[in-house]
Amino acid sequence: METFINPKSLFHLLLLPCLLLYSSIAYNSSPVEAAMHTNNWAVLVCTSRFWFNYRHMANTLSLYRTVKRLGIPDERIILMLADDMACNTRNKYPAQVFNNENHRLNLYGDNVEVDYRGYEVTVENFLRVLTGRHETAVPRSKRLLSDEGSHILLYMTGHGGDEFLKFQDSEELQSHDLADAVKQMKEKHRFKELLIMVDTCQAATLFNQSPGVLAIGSSMKGENSYSHHLDSDVGVSVVDRFTYYTLAFFERLNIYDNASLSSLFSSYNPSLLMSTAYYRKDLYKRRLEEVPVTNFFGSVMETIHTDAAYKALSRRNSGRFEDEMSLDQSVHHIKRRMLIKVNDGDEIHDINPEGEEGASKCPWSTFRKKFQKAENVDSLLNYGLVAMIPLLVISTWLVQ
Amino acid sequence: MEKLKKKIGSFSFWNWVIASIIFRLILIYFPKNLNLSSRPEVSTPLTSFRRLAEGYWLKQSSMSSYAGSMYHGSPLLLSLLGPLTVKRIEGQPNHLLYSLVSVIADVVSAMLIRATGQNLRLAYLRSLESLDLVKQIDVSEFLFSGDIAALIYLCNPFTIVACVGLSTSPIENMAVILCLYGACSRLIPLAAFGWVIATHLSLYPAILIIPVIFLLGCGPDSPPRKLFLQRHQQKEVLNQLKLPPGFSWGPIIHFAFWAFLWSVYVLVLCGISLKQFGGLWEMFKSTYGFILTVEDLSPNIGVLWYFFAEVFEFFRNFFLIVFHVNILFMILPLSIRLRHRPCYLAFVYVAICSMLKSYPSVGDSALYLGLLGWFVNELADMQFSLFLFCGYVGVSLLSPVMHNLWIWRGTGNANFYFTTAMVYACLQIVLVVEGVSAVLNHDRKLRILITGKP
Repeated sequence: METFINPKSLFHLLLLPCLLLYSSIAYNSSPVEAAMHTNNWAVLVCTSRFWFNYRHMANTLSLYRTVKRLGIPDERIILMLADDMACNTRNKYPAQVFNNENHRLNLYGDNVEVDYRGYEVTVENFLRVLTGRHETAVPRSKRLLSDEGSHILLYMTGHGGDEFLKFQDSEELQSHDLADAVKQMKEKHRFKELLIMVDTCQAATLFNQSPGVLAIGSSMKGENSYSHHLDSDVGVSVVDRFTYYTLAFFERLNIYDNASLSSLFSSYNPSLLMSTAYYRKDLYKRRLEEVPVTNFFGSVMETIHTDAAYKALSRRNSGRFEDEMSLDQSVHHIKRRMLIKVNDGDEIHDINPEGEEGASKCPWSTFRKKFQKAENVDSLLNYGLVAMIPLLVISTWLVQ
Repeated sequence: MEKLKKKIGSFSFWNWVIASIIFRLILIYFPKNLNLSSRPEVSTPLTSFRRLAEGYWLKQSSMSSYAGSMYHGSPLLLSLLGPLTVKRIEGQPNHLLYSLVSVIADVVSAMLIRATGQNLRLAYLRSLESLDLVKQIDVSEFLFSGDIAALIYLCNPFTIVACVGLSTSPIENMAVILCLYGACSRLIPLAAFGWVIATHLSLYPAILIIPVIFLLGCGPDSPPRKLFLQRHQQKEVLNQLKLPPGFSWGPIIHFAFWAFLWSVYVLVLCGISLKQFGGLWEMFKSTYGFILTVEDLSPNIGVLWYFFAEVFEFFRNFFLIVFHVNILFMILPLSIRLRHRPCYLAFVYVAICSMLKSYPSVGDSALYLGLLGWFVNELADMQFSLFLFCGYVGVSLLSPVMHNLWIWRGTGNANFYFTTAMVYACLQIVLVVEGVSAVLNHDRKLRILITGKP
C-alpha cells in the first residue's frame, strides 16, 4: 500500500498531464505560423497641405513609384495625398512632380492612382483604412483589404513631433492612436508582417508604442529630419533626406534582386541624413539579413508546386503539369529566392521536374496512369462511339 | 393501270424528298439559320445546339461539361457533335456541318418511317386477308401509308424548322424511329439500340418499351385477336395457319438481353468520359434530374413553365410528381385498350409525351405528326381533322407573335404567350382523343363487318 503512492510515481503521474498541457499549448500556437505570405499591400500617406510642403508629396509619390516598379499593383496600394501639388497654381510645371532638381523623373506620370485626396486625408480616414472599419458606401479601392497573409508597408511623411504626426495642419495622429490601430490590425489578422516607415521630425517617437512590428523612422526624439535640397526652378525643396537616400538605395534595385532589409537599414548614414535613422525590430522574429526588401517594398511571390495537375489551362499543356514536385514548405530562404528568380516571366513549363517518379512495377497502375491522361480518354471515347455502328450492324445481321 | 399509278406515286415521292432536302439546304444558307435557334419553340434547354457548343467548350477547358447548368444532354452527343461546333469552313454558314448532320438524320428517319409504314401496310393487308374481308373493303383505295408518313415527316414545317433551327431533336427523333422500325421488322438488336439511345438522349422514350414489347411479342398492328376467333368460329374451320400468332416471350427475353448489353455499353462510355467530373451520378443529376425537376423555367411551347414559375416552394415537389405521373397514369389504360395495335400505341405515347414533357418543342410534335401518317387508313374517318389542321397552323403563326409582343415590344405579357401554349396543348389533346376514338371506331367497323352486329 505504501509503495503505491511514493514521490517517484507521483512525479511520473504529474508529468503526463504536464506534457499534455504543453503539447496542447504548442499545438495551439502553431496555427498562427501557418499563414503564408500571399500578397503585398502599401499604404502611403502624405499629411501636409500647402505648396511649401511640396517635398512631402514628392516623398510619397517617389515611394509610390518605387513600390509599383517593384511589383505591387495599384489595387494593392492606398495612396493618400493631402494636397494637389501637381496641379497647384504655383507649380511652374503643371501636372509634373519632381523629386530631384535634375527633373529626371516625373513622379506624377500618367498612371498615378490617388485613393484619398485633399480633405479626405484625415486621421479618421487613416485609422479607418488601417482597421478596416468603413462605412458601407466606401468603395473597394479605398479599403485596405489585407488578410493574414499580407505584408503591409506603411509609409507616413509630413510634419511631426514628439509622439505625434500632423494631419492637414489641423489635427494630429498620436502614437498611441497608431499603436491602437496596429494592435487592432494584429487582432483581426489583417497582416502577417508590417513595416512602418516614417519620415518626419522626431519620427521614431511615432511608433514607440506599436508592438510587434518592424518600424523605421527618419529621426530620433529631439532630432529633426531635413530636406535634401532646394530646387530653385520649382522654388521649394523637393525631397527629404531620408526618403532621398531610401530612393537612392531602391533605384539601384530591380525586381529580382535579393537585397535584404538589413542592407537597407544600414545604408542610412547619419551624417548624410543629419539625423539618426532609428529602427526597432525587437519583436520582429526574423533576422533582417534574411528578409529581402521586396518583402515589403515589392510584390514578389514564391511559388510552391503541388502534385495535383493544374487543370484549368488548355489541354496541350496539361501533360507537363503532371510532373511532380514535392510539396516542400520548409524550403530555405535562399533556395526560395532562387525559385523566385527562375519563375520570372511566368514560364511555368520551364520548371525542371525534379524527382519524377519512376515507372511503378505494377502494369495495372501504369495502364491506369496512361488511362488518366486526358488525350487517351478522348480517343478511347471516340473509338467506343465509332465502334457502336459496326457492332450494331453485325449484331443485326447475325440475328436475322 | 395500277402499276402505272404506283409508278407515278413512287416517282413523285422521291421528288418530294429531294425537294424537301433542297428546301432545307436553302434555308440553311440564309444568314444565321434565320435566327430560328433563338426561338423558344424550337430550342429548349435540352435540345439547344448553342448549349451543346458551350458544353463542348467546357469539356475542352478541362471542366465538367455540366458546369454552370448550360448543357443537359448526353456526353456521347458531346463527343460526337462537339467537334462540329468549332469546325468552320471558309465562306460557308457557321453551323453548316451540324445542319447537314440534322438533314441527314431527317432523311434517315424518313426512310425508316417509310419502311415501317410499308411493313404496317403489308401486315394490315395480311390481317384483312385472313379475316376474309378483302372483298368487302376496297383495298385498292388504300393509301401508301409509308410514303405518306415519310412525306409528312419530311415536309412538315415543324420538322424543317427543327432541322434548320439547330436543335438536337432530329437526332432524338431518329433514335425513336429506329427503335420502332427495329421492333416492327423484328430486328431485335436494332430495336434495343434505338430504345437505349432514345432513352439516353431524352428520358421520355423509356415508356416506348411497352409498345416495343407488344410489337415483338404479337407483331405489327392488326385488328383485335377476338375478331379472328369470331371469324373462324363462323366458318367453323379453325385454320391455325391463318390466325395471328399468340403472345411469345422469346423475342422479349432477347430484347431484354440486347437492351441490357447496349445500356451497359452506353453507361460505360459515359462513365469513362465523366470520370473526373463526378461520374455517372453527376450525369444522371444533370440530365434526368434536370428533366424531372424542371429547373429551367424559360418559356417554351409547353405548359409546365408557367405553372412552376408561380407554385410555392412547399408544393413544388408535389406538383412535380403530379405532372410526371400524369404521363404515367395514361400508360396502363391505353396499353390495355390498344394492345393489338402497338404502333398506334407508340404514336399515342409519343403524342402524350410531347404534350406533357418538361421542355417540349416543335421537334417533338414533328415526330408524332410524322407517325400519324402511318395510320391514314385507319384514321380516315377522324373527326375535327380540319379544325386540328387550322389550329396547328394558327398556333404556329401566333406563338412567335405573342412571344414578340411579350418579350420584345413589352406590350403583352406572359399570359399572351401561355395562351398559345395552352391552345397548342388542347389541340394535341383533341388530336390524341379523336385519334384513339377513330381507331377504336375502325375496329368496331371491322367487327360489324364480321359479325354483322353493331
